[in-house]
Amino acid sequence: MSVAPSDAELARDALAGSEAAYRELVARYATPAVNFIYRFIRDRTLAEDLAQEGFLRVYQRLSTYDPQRKFSSWFFQVLRNITIDYLRVHRLPTASLDELEEEGHRGAAMDRESVSPERAAQQGELAVAMSAALSRIRPEYREVVVLRYQEGLTHPEIAEILGLPSGTVKTYLHRARKELAEILSGSGWNTSV
Amino acid sequence: MDRKQLERWLEEEANGRDDAADAAFAHLFAAVPKVQPAAPFVDQAVAAALRWRTRRRRLVACAWAATLVLVGIGVVLAFVGAPRLVTSVIKAMAFASGRGVPWLVAYMTVAMGWWWTLGHVGSVIASALMTPARVVAVVGVELLGILAFYALQRIAGAERLGDAQV
Repeated sequence: MSVAPSDAELARDALAGSEAAYRELVARYATPAVNFIYRFIRDRTLAEDLAQEGFLRVYQRLSTYDPQRKFSSWFFQVLRNITIDYLRVHRLPTASLDELEEEGHRGAAMDRESVSPERAAQQGELAVAMSAALSRIRPEYREVVVLRYQEGLTHPEIAEILGLPSGTVKTYLHRARKELAEILSGSGWNTSV
Repeated sequence: MDRKQLERWLEEEANGRDDAADAAFAHLFAAVPKVQPAAPFVDQAVAAALRWRTRRRRLVACAWAATLVLVGIGVVLAFVGAPRLVTSVIKAMAFASGRGVPWLVAYMTVAMGWWWTLGHVGSVIASALMTPARVVAVVGVELLGILAFYALQRIAGAERLGDAQV
C-alpha cells in the first residue's frame, strides 16, 4: 500500500517540474481555496477566478516555500493576501449584506432570505442558516471560523496565517461562536433554551 | 446537520462552557457544505501554471541569447579595437599625468609651507600659555561651560515633559 505524498513533497516535485505533483496539489486544495474566498466575496465565479490566481501565484513562488512550514498555512496566507488585495481595490464591504445585495451579489441576499427557520426547514437545511449566519459576522471572525472548523487548522497555524497572536485567534473564535449563536437564536433556531 | 446538535451547542454557549461549546460547534460546523469549484477548475489551474512556465522558459532563453550576442559583440570589438583603445588610454594617462603631477607637487609644497608656519605659530602660543595658573584657569572655564550646558539640558528636558503632559 503506497502512502500518499505530503504537501511539502508535492510542492518539491512541482518545483522540480512535475506536472502530476502540481495537479495533485491543486486537486487537494481546490475546494478549500474556493470555499475560503467565497466566504468573503460571495460570488462563486469570482471566488474561482481568485483561487486560480492564488494557485498561479503559489506556483510562481514555489521556490520560496519553506518545507519546514506547513503547506496549508503558506497557501492560505497567499489566498488571504489575494482576497484582501481584491477587496481593497474593489472596495467590497464584506461585512455588510445590504451593500453586497446592492452590488448584485445575489448569493448573500439568498442566504439572508433563507435564514428564516420556516424556509430553511422546508429545504431541510440547517446548514444553509448556519452559512447565512456566517456571512453576517465580522470578516476577521469569519476567516478564523472557516480556517478552524472547516479546514481544521490549529490555533498557531491560523495565527501564522493572519499574523496575529494565538490568544487573539482564540478570542476571535470565542466571539465568532457567540455572535453566530446570537444570530441563530435571534432567527428562532434555539427552541429548547 | 441536525437540530439536536445545534441546540446542544447553543446550550453550551449559553452556559459559558467554552471547551464543550467549541467541540459541539466543531461537530455542527463540519456539516456546513463547502463551496465546490466547477469541474474543470483543476485543469484550468494546471494549464495556467504550465502556460506561465512556458512563457518564463522562453523569456529566460531569450535573455540568455541576448546575453551571448552581447558578449560576442564585446569580444569582437575588443579584438578589433583593443590596440587602438589601449594606445588611446595610455596617451590620455600620459597627458593627464604630465599636466597634473607638476601642479600637484607645486600646490603640495605651498600647502606644506603653510602647515609648518601654522605649526610654528601654534607652538609659540602654546608655550606662552603653559603656566600652571593659566592651565587651571582654562580648565575651570571649561568645567563651568560643561556644567552650564548640563543645566540647560535639564531645564529644556523638564519643559518638554511639561508640554507633553499638558
